[in-house]
Amino acid sequence: MEIKTDDYRVWIEGSNIFFDGAMRLASSEAGAPVMALANSILASNPSTITLDLKDLHFLNSSGINLLAKFTIEVRKHPDVRLVVRGTPDIPWQSKSLPNLKKLHPALVLLMN
Amino acid sequence: MTALFGTPDIAIGMKENVSRLRLFDGPLDLSWRHCATTSDFIADLFALRFQSSRNDYMEVRHSIGYLVNELIENAVKFRAPGEIVIEASMDSECFKLKVSNDVDGENASEFQSLLADITVGDPKDLLIQRIEANAANPDVARSGLGLLTLMSDYGARLAWIFSSADERDRICLETYASIPISQTHN
Repeated sequence: MEIKTDDYRVWIEGSNIFFDGAMRLASSEAGAPVMALANSILASNPSTITLDLKDLHFLNSSGINLLAKFTIEVRKHPDVRLVVRGTPDIPWQSKSLPNLKKLHPALVLLMN
Repeated sequence: MTALFGTPDIAIGMKENVSRLRLFDGPLDLSWRHCATTSDFIADLFALRFQSSRNDYMEVRHSIGYLVNELIENAVKFRAPGEIVIEASMDSECFKLKVSNDVDGENASEFQSLLADITVGDPKDLLIQRIEANAANPDVARSGLGLLTLMSDYGARLAWIFSSADERDRICLETYASIPISQTHN
């Protein structure tokens, strides 16, 4: 499964969700296909879900809110481990990804 | 009556050494794509002086681009028909931005009510509280999460001035922002 636009691409490999490009969502509705894709992985109840954001160069606040909403969804499933992979080389990630851990302390945030 | 929200002292001092960009509504058919194009342009323009350090350049370019993008997105989303004026300046300590656009009375009133909630308290705590509230009630049209992200994660200081309504119920909204810019790497 894949969502592809001129600016960004989101796809699934196993229970890993990869993000690439620059995502500037106009609203939460604009992020609905990405949310549906992520929720479809959660519905299969894997032991771990990984969000790989290392190639997502830009994410506006609507997009960050989408990640936060999905984190809250996963929080409702204590048996599912959520791993978020980011990089300190992309400033929005080092600034905003730690907020996800505040929402879900069991989340594993890997910044390397 | 004029109304002010946020940090009053940054709502002044945008008169000198300002670069100004005026986005006309009609000929440009202002849309979502203009937010990215305009904010990338301004970020490129102001980050140039940091080119000698790759890390500083990346950090400054991103922070300016993120701030400008969020505030132009808000202007494009919530404005009444008409132009958007963007003014920017930078000194050795901070980047300052002013975005001006018209809004209608109903929109102004909803926005003022939101601002009253998100400008009092620690932005880091408010951001988490509002993310939780927004996830529980996703139908809220205006969450304020973008503004709180700027204050919490980017150290932005923000202020808003609403003019009194004219005879067409149009209000001029001026949004002021300031973010710290520091050279950290040599």
